[in-house]
Amino acid sequence: MLDNISQFETISLQDLEAMEDDERDRLSFGVIGMQADTVADVYNATESQMSGVAPDSVLGVPFFETIGQCMNNFMVAQRFEDERELDDIVPYVLTLRMRPQRVRLRLLASADISRQYILVER
Amino acid sequence: MSNDEKLLQFLYACPVGLIEFDASGRITMINPHAMQHLLPLGGPAASENFFTAMENCAPELRSIAGSYTSDHGTIRGSHRIFVDLAEKRRKGRPQVLSCSLVKLGAERFMATLSDISDEVAREHRLRQADTWFSALIDGINDYGVIVVSGDLTVISANRSFSRQTGRSFEQVIGRSVGDILLTPDADDPGMDSVEDQFCMAARDGWNLYEGWERRANGERYWCQRLIVVRDEDEKAGDSTFSVILRDVPPRESDSGDLITMLTRDDLTGASNRMYFHKTLRREKLRWQSRKDPLSLVMLDLDHFKAINDRFGHPGGDAVLCAVARTALAMKPANAVFARLGGEEFALLLPGRGLQEASRIASDLCDAIARTPIEAAQGKITVTASLGCAELGEVQGSTDDLIELADSRLYHVKRTGRNRVLATTP
Repeated sequence: MLDNISQFETISLQDLEAMEDDERDRLSFGVIGMQADTVADVYNATESQMSGVAPDSVLGVPFFETIGQCMNNFMVAQRFEDERELDDIVPYVLTLRMRPQRVRLRLLASADISRQYILVER
Repeated sequence: MSNDEKLLQFLYACPVGLIEFDASGRITMINPHAMQHLLPLGGPAASENFFTAMENCAPELRSIAGSYTSDHGTIRGSHRIFVDLAEKRRKGRPQVLSCSLVKLGAERFMATLSDISDEVAREHRLRQADTWFSALIDGINDYGVIVVSGDLTVISANRSFSRQTGRSFEQVIGRSVGDILLTPDADDPGMDSVEDQFCMAARDGWNLYEGWERRANGERYWCQRLIVVRDEDEKAGDSTFSVILRDVPPRESDSGDLITMLTRDDLTGASNRMYFHKTLRREKLRWQSRKDPLSLVMLDLDHFKAINDRFGHPGGDAVLCAVARTALAMKPANAVFARLGGEEFALLLPGRGLQEASRIASDLCDAIARTPIEAAQGKITVTASLGCAELGEVQGSTDDLIELADSRLYHVKRTGRNRVLATTP
């Protein structure tokens, strides 16, 4: 079994897609999944704990216009629009519970999988 | 859902940026919308301090907040910040942010941030429309008309024009229109010269302007001026223009203070980013139509962080003010010296080629190094690195002009500082 840090860096889109919700919940990093229209349909327990918001209020809502506003710029949201194939790690600052929090984000998208992912490592 | 979670959701979803920070700028609370704008400005490393994150595009915020003496109150409402100097609005990037600053206590500040790029663009269009509508609504009593050729010579004038301006036909016909119509106040940033207005009319089909005009007896009157292209001749430069002049009561609001507030950097008195941006666009137009050269000098103070560390921010501020004083005193009359960011300045030189720009930059570089600056803790000497570029070198792209001058400046930084570079090594 890979350790958590390398899993954040190495886990593939296919791996994430193959997981059940409870498997994604057990990952040590946050997992946000959304469709091409940015409506979120995956929000794992780790991310929910970090943000303080329950998955019910995130799922089914356009992510970048609500809870994910801090990523709604050319550094994150624009990249999903511009790049069909995307696997990149970017240093970022999130506002979890309104405190600035340095994180690493991994942006994942692929032309043959409709769901795109943002992984959050605190 | 718990009340805490409702409150969190409320703040997560808020479509306006909210930031709380202490006197040093350290951010204690911030909502996602604020981070959306803050992070692209300074990157992750700068995003934990409000002043550091804003340093490159709104360095004045530190002194505005610092000079507010009361413990509570609104420091500044809707302060405009020009964040992107690119000519066209880039996807996913705001051009203008609005920032309000409030002091919550001796060491506590709050700022709001929102993207007002669309409003600013709309305002610009409205200002034109406003003149247009008032021209229609005010009713037409008397209006003068002149016809102007493509080389801006007056071909004919009607009797009303003669009555309005007190000039006979002989005094007008065959003369250049620039000698007849009053050139707008050079200090007014929103205004283009008479020649520029014709260039814009040739490009857009029409141009509207409102400002002081002068009669033959020297008397000033408020005039609405509409320039319309008459000919649809495909050959550029062959169009003729109709100019309609209306003598109307002046607008009541005197905009002098507002203009100073909107165009000057608070601390140094140099022009601000917004004015620089506006002038650059206007001068580019002139460059295109008249082929006058246009040069840019970018200037960055050397080891400025060390000065701030040693003499504190008041020392650093004294240095910035002294450099601006030196440059403003030396610059040619039609040049614009602007503070673009923390210790970064630009000198825009209309009508000057690269060689002349390089000479002016060298004089400035010498003058800065020669001028000791008095600060509370003693004399400070400072040097600057400068890079020059000319618009012709980059085929008229103002974005590339800034980049080229910047790249030369950074070459100077890497190779010893305190010098000017006007070529790419």
